[in-house]
Amino acid sequence: MRIASGLALLFILACPVPAAAAAGDEGRLLYERQCAACHTIGEGDRIGPDLAGVNERRPRDWLLSFVTGPDRMIAAGDPVAVRLYERYNRIVMPNLNLSEEQAGQLLEYLALAAPAAAAPAAAVTELPRPALAGPQSRVLQLFLVISAVIVLVFTWVALSTRNPVEVDVHRAYSIRRVLFVIAVVALAGLLVLTLPKAPYARAGAEPARVVYVAARQFDFLFSEEPIVSTAEVGIVPTLANLVLTKDELVEFRVTSLDVNHGFGLYGPDRQIVAQTQAMPGYFNRLLFRPLAPGEYKVFCLEYCAAGHHLMQVRLTVN
Amino acid sequence: MTTRPASSQLLIWIAITFLLFPVLILLGILMRSIQAGEISALQPWFYPAMTLHGVGMVGVWYVAAMACAADVLSRHVTLPPALGRLAIAGTVLGVVLLLACVLLGRFAAGWYFLYPLPLKGEWPLWSAVTFLLSLTVLGATWFIWSLGLLWAISRRFSLGQALGWHYLAGRTDPVLPPSVLITTVSLIAGVAALVSAVIVLALFYLELLTGQASDALLMKNLTFFFGHTLVNLAMYLGVAVAYEILPEYAGRPWKTNKIVVVSWNTVLLIVLVAYFHHLYMDFVQPGILQYIGQVASYASAIPAAVVTIFGALLLVYRSRMRWNLASLLFFLGLVGWAIGGVGAVIDSTISVNARLHNTLWVPAHFHTYMVAGLAFLVIGYFYHRCQEAAALRESKGYHQLLIVLMTAGAYGFFLMFYLAGAFSVPRRFAVYPVEIGHGASFAGWAALFATLFLVGFVLTATEVGRRWRAALSSAT
Ligand code: HEC
Ligand code: HEM
Ligand SMILES: [Cu+2]
Ligand SMILES: [Cu+2]
Repeated sequence: MRIASGLALLFILACPVPAAAAAGDEGRLLYERQCAACHTIGEGDRIGPDLAGVNERRPRDWLLSFVTGPDRMIAAGDPVAVRLYERYNRIVMPNLNLSEEQAGQLLEYLALAAPAAAAPAAAVTELPRPALAGPQSRVLQLFLVISAVIVLVFTWVALSTRNPVEVDVHRAYSIRRVLFVIAVVALAGLLVLTLPKAPYARAGAEPARVVYVAARQFDFLFSEEPIVSTAEVGIVPTLANLVLTKDELVEFRVTSLDVNHGFGLYGPDRQIVAQTQAMPGYFNRLLFRPLAPGEYKVFCLEYCAAGHHLMQVRLTVN
Repeated sequence: MTTRPASSQLLIWIAITFLLFPVLILLGILMRSIQAGEISALQPWFYPAMTLHGVGMVGVWYVAAMACAADVLSRHVTLPPALGRLAIAGTVLGVVLLLACVLLGRFAAGWYFLYPLPLKGEWPLWSAVTFLLSLTVLGATWFIWSLGLLWAISRRFSLGQALGWHYLAGRTDPVLPPSVLITTVSLIAGVAALVSAVIVLALFYLELLTGQASDALLMKNLTFFFGHTLVNLAMYLGVAVAYEILPEYAGRPWKTNKIVVVSWNTVLLIVLVAYFHHLYMDFVQPGILQYIGQVASYASAIPAAVVTIFGALLLVYRSRMRWNLASLLFFLGLVGWAIGGVGAVIDSTISVNARLHNTLWVPAHFHTYMVAGLAFLVIGYFYHRCQEAAALRESKGYHQLLIVLMTAGAYGFFLMFYLAGAFSVPRRFAVYPVEIGHGASFAGWAALFATLFLVGFVLTATEVGRRWRAALSSAT
């Protein structure tokens, strides 16, 4: 037993553990773990500005002090930092406690990294309101109808006080019994109809594909292998453009690297088609069969601090 | 006209409520305006405002409902005055701490501060600690308050009697007013909720002091057990007040009987497990709890609709109802409770929740029963007591106008939430992304309707205020 664990320890020590990846790779790892959640290189602005060409844009000293202490720079009123802060939704870039050396490695990486191939698509600024369809529309109608009935009944009772009279309580009680039976039957019927439609993974449902999702403040990472900690980011390969096949059952295994997030999948008609929570320490397994081809969007559906509403990722169904 | 003096403690609670409510409404209007894209300069304040608004509103209406229930209770049992003073002092201290952490520290973890967000946001650590301290003060105060009220009840009724069990055995001695029964049920649920809050807070402090992290799923269960229960029982306290006061206006009795006892004892059991519906989208939660959540949520509708709402309608139907601002608000408060409840039961269907969870449907239904339900009941009771003490002349037409303003404003505002929820617009988004850009126009209309409501409320508060001043001089 002790020998086995000793061997295991030796093995671990001898292995190229993530942190000690190839020299010169530190910049990339730091970037993917600490910066990519808010920045891109050549794919446009996200929470913060696109960092492609930032070395040409700003003096090196400024960059070093900004990356090691953005909060200090903004608080001290540095004009460039304050302007950026105003422009990027007044979200203060977090102080990530980086050393000057790490900041240097990052700038080196930013200088070398080729801007991502795809040029940012022309920004759409407005889309028409989608049609209300699917289960959401039926739910709204049901709600409005029941509410109207409630309003009518209360109005009728209120108006009845114009002609006061003694009411036969026993007759009322027999009406109540009838109502009770109706309510129980209706609710039990709805239970029987709706409980089997719960979206939980069931034995026997074999997904054609498994996709891991790691949520963090403020982006989603798709991968074929699980990512359960920040140390694995940059080591485990991620899928930059996730493409799914129409009608093929996919299982998302969703977790979070920091706080609770929500994995809210919006279909091509911009309505929620499925969702689950992203909770640190757990994998939620969401089975999903895409019935319509097109562009899907994932939005974060659990509040996760200042960048919450900016946290999103795209996927395509062919 | 005979007058009945009001208690000075109730008058203080009225002042606190009427001071804080409009400010918190303004924060709500601010949020809707930011979402509409009208004042984007204030966008960084969206999430702090949301946090202050949420905690503030839940807190204000919980204490206001407790104050009304305590006032009603004092007709039937003797309350120690020190208890009420402690509740006022503790609540004010908690509110001051809350204001400090949000306004100075920009604390913004949302009203249910889901673990571990308070420790991992862009706000400074001291503001998170101040927030936790604020909740500790409020929690401890309300815990003592609830236990104190239960103790006061226990000096007149045994626990079994206060829960009406002797009615089940066919005895009606001692006579138990329904308001005492419902208040007892609510207070017991409240004690359970506050114990859960204490555990959550203790685990936060443990992590702050020793770095010992907690399990996120356990924390979420504890948080919603506490949050869900607290919000629901605040509503029940309002209903307890309606059971007591509405009969005075209808000129008919509304008494405890077997059915009422069975119904409210069932509510006590159901309310404690219905909170599972907040975790439907946490697929790792054991499946059986999810199904219990839906069954319990559905079941909770039966005592509410078939016993309480039906009972209230029967009470009013063809009675010699004396309609005034108070009785109209009570009656409308029950409408708001019913409609909000329908929105809640729909969303408590697991397969529906997969489409509506954390969309604006959620604030839609809870605003319906908090604003048009609980707040209407409480404002009705405040007016009722002040008017009883002051006996000023009531201007019927003007009061009806106020009701129209508040009702139209409130339901217009809710409708924008419901529609947006059906269109998959997420809740808690400071800015809507392009794909959900239609959320902005709902927000703009909602801001207008909310302003209408605010105008109606301020005018109503002025009407209550005139009577409040007269009541103050004769207060006990
Ligand atoms: C939570 C989101 C977030 C993270 C994580 C983050 N940034 Fe930023 N970054 C911002 C924002 C927002 C700005 C704009 C200035 C501001 O508002 O503070 C910014 C600005 C910058 C700028 C200035 C860009 C310019 O155009 O001058 C640089 C350089 C930068 N970030 C580098 C980094 C690096 C390197 C990392 C990782 C170590 C990082 N950022 C991590 C949000 C982030
Ligand atoms: C007319 C008055 C009110 C207005 C205009 C208003 C407005 C709002 C708005 C705009 C939001 C944010 C919605 C979003 O998620 O995008 C909100 C959230 C909320 N409101 Fe209100 N509200 C009002 C009354 C109340 C009342 C009486 C309560 C009592 C309980 C309340 C409790 C809450 C809570 C708990 C939240 C959630 C906060 C969070 O997500 O952390 N509100 N309100
Ligand atoms: Cu998120
Ligand atoms: Cu989020």
